[in-house]
Amino acid sequence: MKDKTKIGVFVCHCGNNIAGVIDVEKLTEYAKTLPNVVEAFNYKFMCSEIGQELIKEKIKNGEINRVVVAACSPRMHETTFRKVCNEAGLNQYLYEAANIREHCTWVNTQDTEGAYEIAKSHVRMAVAKANKLEALEKFRVQVEPTCLVVGAGIAGMNSALDLSNFGYKVYLVEKTTTIGGHMAQLDKTFPTLDCSSCVITPKMSEVLKAKNIELMTYSEITNISGYVGNFNVTIKKKPHYIDQEICTGCGTCAQECIVIAANEFDLGMKKRKAAYIPFPQAVPGKYTIDMDHCIKCGICAEICPVDAVKYDDKPTFVDIKVGTIILSTGYDLYDPTILRQYGYGKYPNVITGLEMERLMSSFGPTEGKVKRRSDLKEPSTIVFLQCVGSRDFTEKGNKYCSRVCCMYSAKQARLFKEKHPNANIFIFYIDIRAFGKGYEEFYDSTGREFHIKFIRGRISEVVEDEEHNIIVRGEDTLLQKLIRIKADLLVLAVGLEPRQDSNKITRLFNVQRSEDGFLMEAHPKLRPVETLTDGIFIAGAVQGPKDIPDAIAQAKAAALQSALLIAKGKVEIDPIFSIVLNHRCAGCKSCISVCPFNAISFNELQKVAEINKILCKGCGTCVAACPTSAIIQNQFGNAQLLPMIHNAVQKSEKIGG
Amino acid sequence: MLDYEPDIITNCTNTLVDSLKEAGYSEVDACIQCGTCSGGCPSGERTALKVRTIMRKVQLGIEDILSENDIWYCSTCYTCLERCPRKLPITDMIIFLRNLAVQKGFMLKSHLDLCKKFCFSGHGVPIDDKKWKELREFYGLKKVPPTVHSHEKDLDEVKRLLISSKFNELINIDSEELGIKKKVKVSIVEETLEKYITEEEKLKISKI
Amino acid sequence: MVQDKKYSLFLGCVIPNRYPFIEAATKKVFQKLGITLVDMEGASCCPAPGVFRGFDIDTWLIIATRNLTIAENNNYDIATMCNGCYGSLLEADHQLKSDVEKRNMVNYHLSKVNRSYKGSIKVKHIIEILYKDIGLDKIKNRVKYGRKNKLDLRIAVHYGCHLLKPSEIRPWGKDSETPHFLDDLVEATGCKSINYLDKYRCCGAAGAVRSAFKEISLDFTREKLTNMRAAGVEAIITVCPFCHLQFDLGQIEINKIFKDRIDAPFNIPVIYYTQLLGLALGMNPEEVGLIKDKELSGVPPFISIEPFLTKIGEKLEG
Ligand SMILES: Cc1cc2nc3c(=O)[nH]c(=O)nc-3n(C[C@H](O)[C@H](O)[C@H](O)COP(=O)(O)OP(=O)(O)OC[C@H]3O[C@@H](n4cnc5c(N)ncnc54)[C@H](O)[C@@H]3O)c2cc1C
Ligand code: SF4
Ligand code: SF4
Repeated sequence: MKDKTKIGVFVCHCGNNIAGVIDVEKLTEYAKTLPNVVEAFNYKFMCSEIGQELIKEKIKNGEINRVVVAACSPRMHETTFRKVCNEAGLNQYLYEAANIREHCTWVNTQDTEGAYEIAKSHVRMAVAKANKLEALEKFRVQVEPTCLVVGAGIAGMNSALDLSNFGYKVYLVEKTTTIGGHMAQLDKTFPTLDCSSCVITPKMSEVLKAKNIELMTYSEITNISGYVGNFNVTIKKKPHYIDQEICTGCGTCAQECIVIAANEFDLGMKKRKAAYIPFPQAVPGKYTIDMDHCIKCGICAEICPVDAVKYDDKPTFVDIKVGTIILSTGYDLYDPTILRQYGYGKYPNVITGLEMERLMSSFGPTEGKVKRRSDLKEPSTIVFLQCVGSRDFTEKGNKYCSRVCCMYSAKQARLFKEKHPNANIFIFYIDIRAFGKGYEEFYDSTGREFHIKFIRGRISEVVEDEEHNIIVRGEDTLLQKLIRIKADLLVLAVGLEPRQDSNKITRLFNVQRSEDGFLMEAHPKLRPVETLTDGIFIAGAVQGPKDIPDAIAQAKAAALQSALLIAKGKVEIDPIFSIVLNHRCAGCKSCISVCPFNAISFNELQKVAEINKILCKGCGTCVAACPTSAIIQNQFGNAQLLPMIHNAVQKSEKIGG
Repeated sequence: MLDYEPDIITNCTNTLVDSLKEAGYSEVDACIQCGTCSGGCPSGERTALKVRTIMRKVQLGIEDILSENDIWYCSTCYTCLERCPRKLPITDMIIFLRNLAVQKGFMLKSHLDLCKKFCFSGHGVPIDDKKWKELREFYGLKKVPPTVHSHEKDLDEVKRLLISSKFNELINIDSEELGIKKKVKVSIVEETLEKYITEEEKLKISKI
Repeated sequence: MVQDKKYSLFLGCVIPNRYPFIEAATKKVFQKLGITLVDMEGASCCPAPGVFRGFDIDTWLIIATRNLTIAENNNYDIATMCNGCYGSLLEADHQLKSDVEKRNMVNYHLSKVNRSYKGSIKVKHIIEILYKDIGLDKIKNRVKYGRKNKLDLRIAVHYGCHLLKPSEIRPWGKDSETPHFLDDLVEATGCKSINYLDKYRCCGAAGAVRSAFKEISLDFTREKLTNMRAAGVEAIITVCPFCHLQFDLGQIEINKIFKDRIDAPFNIPVIYYTQLLGLALGMNPEEVGLIKDKELSGVPPFISIEPFLTKIGEKLEG
């Protein structure tokens, strides 16, 4: 026989977050009046050790066998309180949350009474549901001890190396012909000014050598199925037209190739051949023929000492099975062409920050000497403009701050000034954001030691004179004067943007994007490297603009999260999934088309829908779509929801009124 | 003793912000003082107008902008509005500030004259000399254009509307002076209202 | 070709009362293109966005809407030849279409003169009609002096602010900074649109600036003229009578007021776009109001159009 339902309600003050708005004592008293509530308490922080102990004690003593915690959002502490139940010997699914913070006090700070009424209904609903909760058991699946890392920038490389050092097999898939990402394009890095190449090239060769890393460059993911611990992934390896196994990287083909194309790595500022590697230190240093430009003249095929050239090379597809996935596809740069007032694309001496980076690089198009596109002269007056495409609320820009541009402009300005002490350098800015470790000090030195002039104001427009100098027009808002500067070079500190193909990534991997368009983390504070899809993690600038230290930190965290799953060998799955009642299912397949997680398949034998309980996230879409009510969802069935709804719409008499 | 009064803002009033918000320009507090507007303002290049400062003073409630010429220097070229990264409808806000200035009685004589001309003729630039008629004829057009200049009844309509919106009072012209009797028969108004206004819209009208 | 399409022609003030040849030329050119421009009987000032809207937004809106209702009664979309009128009428129409409260307020006042706004028509600049409704290709096909004896004059195009901005309620797409539709239209006649510094800048006339601070207003123009002259242009093409006046009468004024700040007096002919288009379509100069000898004095054009006519004459004969 079932035990009698004994509900304990625990009201949290959340410091002043809740108690500062509503009367928690009164709410506790109210809770005691609800059906089957035997105990009600309130405490300053229910999530604290003391709060947790309070719940445990009541469970252990047998005083209660259902727990309702009226506190913050379940996204915050559902797991905490479930664990509490578990530890006290109560099935963890007999816990229910009443969100009286995010859904109540935070949004009604001015209206104490209204907030109290809302809090009451939340508690009432939670208790109603608690009365109908059922004990459920988690189930476990095996985790394949391998990981897929997508994108081999500084973030992806770090994740891959860490996992490989743990002893796990890693597939590192990179879209371009080399690993390294944007960092490989940088000259020196703020705030330490260490040479980017010196930092990243050893890492790149480490990746190449790591015995647990299987590197696939010039490759893309084309298909993925399965679930946490057991993903089946198809990778397309694009044809290099040069056998990568045989190629020794001697470069004879490129030397003799007669077709010239723009080198993407140098943003088109330098030329390469149709047979190429993007830059000398590229990894793996094997050559590729760019078939968009190749005229198949046959010279390289003839001249290659090891006969590696294959004009009839075809893409190959590789199927792998992995336990976890890390997405680290990085960022794209904002294209400032659309801001016509700055003349990018029209005036040769207006360039972007990344172009400046290449110009400053010793293996860049000008061997480290910054030169104007118009006349190849070295500039002596350089103007930088911050926030290009960032902090811009119009349709032409992005609302967010790109976080690295203030610092990279200060860096570039300073490096240039080191070599050209007589240069005039101006940086137009709205606010300087030097938030990282050592960043403010770095910013300080740009002014203090290098006399770079920071002008508070955003350039309004530029025009060009006959010598292709750029006349910059803006206001020095601190002087409160209009300012016109004749610059030899204008550098636009363009911001970072989500990858152009982000939608493809989100569809393929079933992950979400946040409002800014970058991939979304499961929780902005508590789960920064996880996605809402179990087993898939994010690292680096794919999650939002960030500098190298932050990208690496996140990469290491993602690797660790991934390793944790693999190390456990098994993963527990929440039993909040939907179930098809076969006798009711008419086989109409409506549910299959609506499931956002592709969790439903059709059993041709029995002519009924079948839900894969691992893939199912318990979103309930199918439940609503089923015309014969053949699908029920654990913990969110009519049994639980109807009493909640009844209690939500029921008018509570005002206490004391 | 100090021989000067330090210019200290001790009291930010929200009067300007509030009037702007009420008129639908809710973005005023979003200005981050970046100076994009002022930096490219062709008027500011040659006058005291500094659009950014206007926005600042609005935020802080410093009302001297209403009595100064600056807001009248704007040529309404909309350059600033197009470029503002926070999407403030700057030019439209300046126009609204002009309204507030006029309400307080701050207006320039030439503008006042123009308004008067309009009140009497229905044209800001009317035919006020016979040479303009001759000019029209020279190019093969009717002497008088088919505008209010040709239609007494329409000019009368324009004047009635100006009285209805109390524009004449704003610039101190008596309705009699315009040749229009002050009161329009109320019954006519209500009758015509019935014709085209839906029930729900009527509710809103009662607010006016 | 658009067959017998009709528009309500909104005249405004400056065109009918000061620059009637723009009215005459536009009507004829449109007729030639198969479009009838129907007069809006009893229309008033738009009213001008700088002074009147600056004085009282509600009054401005009411009077502008009264003008809209005339076109509604005609039942043809509005065609305007003036950027200011375009700005006023378009903005008013937009506000009333998107804001019920404003519409009710305006209709309340309009009811006193037995009018009401329905929102049944669109407001277009004649340039929009030419560029979007008729289309560049069709215009090019109609141009008589196409390939051979081109009218290849060097032209300074002046767009005027209110034709382009605020871009949110203009039909030209995202680029309000460097559009090229008017350059395209000018080039369709065989002329060359010459790039000059700050081509898209304001002429300085609008916003109530010219009437109160003529010198400031003309200083905008002086700068533009200097840049145009530096680029070596033979004529200025306008699409707004107020810009037109600012360049035409303005040159005379600038030659006087800024005598010491300009290298030499300005004398660049100022031509309205439909006049140029008319010539290209094969009309003779008189037909499009380009007449140099007239007895009246103290009337436009103030800056002699003779150099322009001479060049045109040479081109068309040769
Ligand atoms: C001009 C400039 C200067 C900078 N200077 C500094 C500095 O001095 N110091 C500093 O700390 N930070 C600096 N940064 C920031 C720095 O570039 C980033 O923090 C860092 O590159 C982020 O690395 P990531 O690996 O996350 O992304 P990325 O470097 O963008 O790497 C992503 C990788 O994923 C690959 N990829 C993309 N899509 C796919 C796909 N679909 N499949 C497979 N692979 C894919 C890409 O090819 C790339 O190799 C600068 C940024 C700019 C723009
Ligand atoms: S451009 Fe916009 S945000 Fe910047 S100062 Fe002007 S009004 Fe403020
Ligand atoms: S609209 Fe007025 S304030 Fe704005 S840029 Fe033009 S002249 Fe200046």
